[in-house]
Amino acid sequence: MKKSVSLLLVLALAMGLVFGQGTKEAAPAAQAGPVELTFWSLFTGGDGEFFDAMVDEFNKSQKEIVMKNDTVKFDNYYTKLTTALAAKKAPDVIVCHQANLLNYVPNGSLLPLDEYVSKTTLDDFQTAPLSACRFGGKLYSLPLDVHPIVMYYNKDILKQAGIDKIPASADEFVAACKTIKEKTGKWGLAIDNTTGTYKAYTLTRLFFSMMIQQGGSFLTADNKKANFNNAYGETALNWLKDMVNKYQVNPNELDYDAAMNMFKLGDAAFYFNGVWATGTLEKVDGLNFAASPLPAFYGTEGWAWCGSHTLAIPVQENQDPKKVAAAVKFIDWMTAHGEMWAKAGHIPTRKSVVEKDAFKALPYRADYAGAAKYAAAPPSMAAWDEIYGTSSDLLEAAVTKNQDAKTALANMEKVVNGIIAKY
Amino acid sequence: MESNDVFRTKKKISWVLLRILEVFLILCWIFPLIWLVITSLKLEGEVVTKNFTFWPQHPTFANYTKAFTSTYILNWMWNSLVVSTVTMLLTVAVDAPIAYAFAKINFKGKNVLFWAVMAGMMVPFQVLIVPLYLQFNSYGMVNTLTAALLPRVAMPIGIFILKQFFEDIPSALEEAAFIDGANRFTIFHRIILPLGKASIMTVVILSFINAWNDFLWPLIVINDTVKYTITVGIANFQGTQGTQYSLIMAGAAIASLPQIVFFLIFRKQIIEGIAMSGIKG
Amino acid sequence: MIPGNKDTRDGILFSLPFLVIFALFMVYPLLFGLYISFFKWNILSTPQFCGMQNYIGLFHDQKFYTSLWHTVEFVLITTPVLLVMGFAMALAVTGKSPLRDLMETVFFLPYIFSMTVVATLWAWLMQKDFGIFNQVIVSLGGSRVSWLTNDKWAIWSVCIATFWWTAGFNMVLFTAGIKQIPKEVYESAQIDGANYWQCLNHITIPLVSHTTILCLILQVIASFNVFGQVYVMTGGGPAGSTRVLVQYIYENGFQYFKMGYSAAMSYILFIIVLLVSVLQYVLLGRKKEE
Repeated sequence: MKKSVSLLLVLALAMGLVFGQGTKEAAPAAQAGPVELTFWSLFTGGDGEFFDAMVDEFNKSQKEIVMKNDTVKFDNYYTKLTTALAAKKAPDVIVCHQANLLNYVPNGSLLPLDEYVSKTTLDDFQTAPLSACRFGGKLYSLPLDVHPIVMYYNKDILKQAGIDKIPASADEFVAACKTIKEKTGKWGLAIDNTTGTYKAYTLTRLFFSMMIQQGGSFLTADNKKANFNNAYGETALNWLKDMVNKYQVNPNELDYDAAMNMFKLGDAAFYFNGVWATGTLEKVDGLNFAASPLPAFYGTEGWAWCGSHTLAIPVQENQDPKKVAAAVKFIDWMTAHGEMWAKAGHIPTRKSVVEKDAFKALPYRADYAGAAKYAAAPPSMAAWDEIYGTSSDLLEAAVTKNQDAKTALANMEKVVNGIIAKY
Repeated sequence: MESNDVFRTKKKISWVLLRILEVFLILCWIFPLIWLVITSLKLEGEVVTKNFTFWPQHPTFANYTKAFTSTYILNWMWNSLVVSTVTMLLTVAVDAPIAYAFAKINFKGKNVLFWAVMAGMMVPFQVLIVPLYLQFNSYGMVNTLTAALLPRVAMPIGIFILKQFFEDIPSALEEAAFIDGANRFTIFHRIILPLGKASIMTVVILSFINAWNDFLWPLIVINDTVKYTITVGIANFQGTQGTQYSLIMAGAAIASLPQIVFFLIFRKQIIEGIAMSGIKG
Repeated sequence: MIPGNKDTRDGILFSLPFLVIFALFMVYPLLFGLYISFFKWNILSTPQFCGMQNYIGLFHDQKFYTSLWHTVEFVLITTPVLLVMGFAMALAVTGKSPLRDLMETVFFLPYIFSMTVVATLWAWLMQKDFGIFNQVIVSLGGSRVSWLTNDKWAIWSVCIATFWWTAGFNMVLFTAGIKQIPKEVYESAQIDGANYWQCLNHITIPLVSHTTILCLILQVIASFNVFGQVYVMTGGGPAGSTRVLVQYIYENGFQYFKMGYSAAMSYILFIIVLLVSVLQYVLLGRKKEE
């Protein structure tokens, strides 16, 4: 027994060591071969297929740089990234949501890009998404896309209900949805309001957008206090609540997957989600839909919550200038070929891309490209993640349980202010 | 007093009823797994649909093909196999001696040490992630399978199980060996280990299962897709913006298959192994 | 047993291999966590000392209490049910049924699957619009149940999945305990005229008490640390009603970058679990000796 156990142990350790070898860093001696870069992608599923295809195309299009792309499940991506950054072991290029940049900029984890990106390239970017990547005057990343909340609607249902004008205000939506229910028996709206596998952020995103549309804002301008416990907030929350409880044109206890499936199966007329849904929706046979920027429920400007995927370069222990240059080239190429990324539904950020025929030929995207004009990014503050997640829970409860708007908002204000105070 | 015939008929009826209940329970228990397989053989259009059907109308292996061709699934299996096997061997190698010490050796600080070891089971893993990563980074071991498996080797529950069984081995055997001039190491190898085979088998299997199913730590410490373990790899079947049930079920089936096969072959040993250590718990 | 110094020497030597690994990969990170719980640390900057602020803060944090309560709910629901289920299954499997081998296999099989597989599978079974549970209910004339999207049912649904997943493990432990009871005890009871239920109550249950205690302790420790299956099935929802403490710990550490605060909460949880386990061992373990 002893002999065989020891033998097995030795064998096991040997196996472990042989197969467990870390990436042997290529000898630092000058390599004539291509520069090898690493990238961690948080895009899985449909998004992932398009993104991976772009990286493949990049690798094929030139011989100087080889980009190695590893996918990490989006749920765990930031955990892994932050842990790696703590050890200065992050990859050469990373993707980072614009809203998360503030977690990495103040502590010097990202390389300022001002001296690496040419003016011509910078001028090609649309102003708003680009300035969202600037902090303290320095540029820390380049935006790959903007993805606002937009509206999708089922043309067949609208036709069946005899609605020929798309509703353009909160009241018009109420009327239209009631008609749809009467004439077709289908749901007017599929706004998710319950967290399941995916968090029900749509409610918060719509609430956020509606605040701005009415001329208000979610937080005060200095980001120090909540700013939604007022008439604007009540109006918005009541609309969201009433659609579910009073007019019953939006199902209750609807989670993200169910909302999307409901629209896909033609059971709901209006669907609100980020532009990323386009790629999935257009693959559905027999779904006759259209997309448009978020309507101006209130006021005249359709301000819409908007996120943005940006590409950045982490600071390394020994920053290799060749790799930085290669990384910048990669970022440049990816953003300049935004029409490929647009296949996933996202809106490109470079003016040259919007002009390309390939982009113009894509259905639906052109319809909401204009949404970028009224894109409202979330506030840039360290506390935002917690505020966003917590408000989401509270709005979920308010809508699904039909809580009194005034009380719910007062409570939410207290909680949000409490969070801000802790940071 | 009932007549014998009535009594026998009653017994027969209750026997039949009980068997029906048991069959029902077995079907209930196995149903989720059957459903997993059925879903994996459907195309997504059949899964999310208004025309619900139990059986696939057009059964297809498309999801499995997709998993095998568009991913490194075979590499992932191999990595999991290596990680799990090495973990299981190392775990037994370190757990058995200390379990013996707790069971049979009366040394100072034994109780405190025991609770310190048990305490290792009580802390949420999340709090260990960053310091562990920094530590492995300082050894230059990030992105290695070795780093993925080492934190799991120290398995307190294994010690608990082995200790219970070792305690049952009669001291008389040890005392006799001592009298014959043997030292502790000899006793450990010649007496304890052979007698403890069943519970050692248990720890072997439990540590294999735990290592195979480990998710968060391997995800954090392994960077190259080709080096992922199977649980990390198939997690990426979950899309960024929507669940594709059939693909995910296929991935789950593939990831679990080696363990199911392993279990069905070694069923007797596994169950008996765990059972033996439950004695005098 | 040969008493004296040799024991201590041998004890340490035998413990050494485990202790080395344990010290490196468990104790060091644990102590690091304890250390950092007295600091404000966002993982990427230098930690800032803040004394007991994190601990004081968490005592005033309502979400800490609600998360802890959700964890406790989970412990309270799953512990008794899993013990009873495991025991009942063990009875079935140690009886005279011709199906007992098959039952043993089937009941234990779920334990092999990983948490993610189990949680994803059950989330799919319980999916409100397309999951098969509701399809069956609707076809029988009922209305769709919001298994995971209603805050009253969500925690129960997660518990049901947990029962399916882990009851088999308890079954095996109880089976061993039952098999240990000498046949003679049952035989003499039956001669005295005892029926099945009397045997169960007066013989079986008391004589497996040591197994019950073992299961109980292990169960409670594992349940207090629940996170994965809840997170995959409900994301902590609806409206945060199933957010357990470990999820809140995780969010604070890696989403809000409040690692010190996260560590402080981990230690409070640890102390709670340790106290509960020691209490159980002391209060109930004593019975073992009788």
